[in-house]
Amino acid sequence: MSDRTDAPIEHDLAPGEEAQHTVGERILGYVVGLGLALLLTATSFFIAGTNLVWQPSIPVALIVLAIAQMGVHLVFFLHITTGADNTNNVLALAFGLLIVFLVVGGTVWIMAHLNQNMPPMDQFIRMHS
Amino acid sequence: MLGKLDWSAIPFGQPIPLIAGGVVLVGVLAVLMWVVVKGHLPYLWHEWITSVDHKRIGVMYILLASVMLLRGGSDAIMMRIQQAIAFQSQGYLPPEHYNQIFSAHGTIMIFFVAMPFVIGLMNLVVPLQLGVRDVAFPTLNSVGFWLTATGALLVNLSLVVGEFARTGWLAFPPLSELSYSPGVGVDYYAWSLQISGVGTLVAGINLVTTVLKLRTKGMNYLRMPMFCWTTLASNLLIVAAFPILTATLAMLLLDRYLGFHFFTNEAGGNVMMFMNLIWAWGHPEVYILVLPAFGIFSEVVSTFSGKALFGYRSMVLATMAICVISFMVWLHHFFTMGAGPDVNAIFGIASMIIAVPTGVKIYNWLFTMYGGRIRFATPMLWAVGFMVTFIIGGLTGVLVAVPPADFMLHNSMFLVAHFHNVIIGGVLFGAFAGFEYWFPKAFGFRLDERWGKLAFWFTFSGFYITFVPLYVAGMLGMTRRMQHYDVAEWRPWMIVAAIGMAVLSIGVICQIMQLVVSIRNREALRDRTGDPWDGRSLEWATSSPPPVFNFAFHPDVRGEDAYWDMKVHARKQALEHAVPEYHDIEMPRNSPTGFVCAFFATVMGFALIWHIWWMVILGAIGAFATFVVFAWRDHDEYVIPAAEVAAIDRVNLEERRSLVSMAGAV
Repeated sequence: MSDRTDAPIEHDLAPGEEAQHTVGERILGYVVGLGLALLLTATSFFIAGTNLVWQPSIPVALIVLAIAQMGVHLVFFLHITTGADNTNNVLALAFGLLIVFLVVGGTVWIMAHLNQNMPPMDQFIRMHS
Repeated sequence: MLGKLDWSAIPFGQPIPLIAGGVVLVGVLAVLMWVVVKGHLPYLWHEWITSVDHKRIGVMYILLASVMLLRGGSDAIMMRIQQAIAFQSQGYLPPEHYNQIFSAHGTIMIFFVAMPFVIGLMNLVVPLQLGVRDVAFPTLNSVGFWLTATGALLVNLSLVVGEFARTGWLAFPPLSELSYSPGVGVDYYAWSLQISGVGTLVAGINLVTTVLKLRTKGMNYLRMPMFCWTTLASNLLIVAAFPILTATLAMLLLDRYLGFHFFTNEAGGNVMMFMNLIWAWGHPEVYILVLPAFGIFSEVVSTFSGKALFGYRSMVLATMAICVISFMVWLHHFFTMGAGPDVNAIFGIASMIIAVPTGVKIYNWLFTMYGGRIRFATPMLWAVGFMVTFIIGGLTGVLVAVPPADFMLHNSMFLVAHFHNVIIGGVLFGAFAGFEYWFPKAFGFRLDERWGKLAFWFTFSGFYITFVPLYVAGMLGMTRRMQHYDVAEWRPWMIVAAIGMAVLSIGVICQIMQLVVSIRNREALRDRTGDPWDGRSLEWATSSPPPVFNFAFHPDVRGEDAYWDMKVHARKQALEHAVPEYHDIEMPRNSPTGFVCAFFATVMGFALIWHIWWMVILGAIGAFATFVVFAWRDHDEYVIPAAEVAAIDRVNLEERRSLVSMAGAV
């Protein structure tokens, strides 16, 4: 499509685009993102092998760090913001998350019940011997 | 050198596929010869094969779907004849051939008839309804179409080279695993769906982006025609669901090619996981098909009742509700698997809930018709036929959504009757309604009404004569996919169903006759106004067929039913005679990328099926090279000068003014 002179919707941006930023600002954004991402990665590796924190808290900490990592990627690399033109992107993300939750969660739930009701043969033999 | 491929792949011993394949081959060669000898090849290449115009691509999608409908229909005729005569005998189709036929019938009808038909209509109409000049990614659109065609080609190739899957249309393991299906049938199935699946995904991304990002001035979401809304919902489902299909088939292929154990019986594989995953795609898929059909009926009912659509906002809400809930019901395809009463109850309730927004839609259509001045043109007949048929199909659907009832009816002919009831009565009737309704827009002349009505009545009655007996047979305990049977009670119903199939075939012949007769009488049926049905949305605001740029100006939309408003406005204000100022228009250049990509995809797919590894590498390199060449192109647009735009548009305006002034005089 062309004919941008009388483009259908004003101030329209393609998904992922951001308005009116100089190259310098954009590079800075990516550098900050990279720094944060590296920091979170390094922390994860450090925590996984350390004795400095209470051991049972380690999995929880890793999950928290992973979610933070996703947040950094979304904000700095995929440019998901709360800006006016970002509604589509945010909605797409929400829809994607919902579908992943439904399909993965549903599958786990269904297969767990199925295994309980009709255990695979080896499990069945173990249960009844 | 040639992997598993040798002369034994050609079924010399089986006359039916050999003769059918031979006839098709001769037909294709004859058409090709005719094209070359008559010198149509350059026209075909420049205007159609390399076209990135959404209207042309839409027409090609529909052409593909129509040809495949004949193929899938022949399979259906063969199955009905087999079941009519195979009472206490073997019939005329040996079991392995019969199994290939019902597998091919399902695969072709869903993936290569229903999908391309609705995607074709969406491609053709949605940019016009939104008042824009093309889809968001025109070349990608062409790639998507040609990859779908590749899939169709591979499925049909299996008729003469090798065999098709004998596993049913979803290729359930462990039957589809290497130990039970060592032949190339399942590989043909899986690779054609993988390749055409990429094409479908690409089309889905393209149409979602088009609806979200390319709308004309003033066309905000709640002014979009209903067909655009259902297109949005359906393509969101494509984007969300097709990756599941691709991943599931990829796992099956890993099992078959590299000795993995995702779905095998042994080594920790889980067969049930395949059912779970394939239906997590499979249920949204039925809404991917039927939502666009709902959109078509909304347009048709509103146009031919001469009224705005009743309950527009509730219709939007119902559409988006179906879009989300369709991802919460997939277990109802395998209630009998044994996940237990908790799981079954939740999914059963969800399945009944999804009938509610569908019911809302039915009432909206009925209230749109109520008090309207209804014209029973052919598209409207299909719409009314749909409402009756789909309600019956929906009710039997709610019945099998009750888990205890489903335990009785699972895998029976009742189920076969139910899903044909909704797919033929919903999707196919919708596709035909859309075909009749938008044909004048695409080609500039109407279709013959007499043959169209005959086609409707034969198809409509043929449908009932075929499928009501299958409901009965299911109630009598007949299971699906039987090559022969020994129960005398089923026999009469199978014979009636076969007769119904004959009536349905007459309907198809009428449809073909309609096309032939209409092309012959095209001068008499010419639509000069661009608005043959007194339409309400923007596709009718341009000429038929529309110029390559669709609209000389982006229309300015001030409310729902944009074009209807414009017409009312024009009548009130007498006639606007100001000469508009035309501008140059830039349009995307045609590109052979799609065709070349699909060529290499075909080579690669064929080589993968037959384990010809050097050819796989060749095809992959070719496809990648095509992509690189496309990415590095310099000129992707050309300019239509303002003078040419003006000349084309003026003709359209003159015709339209005479129409408005005539209407004003009345």
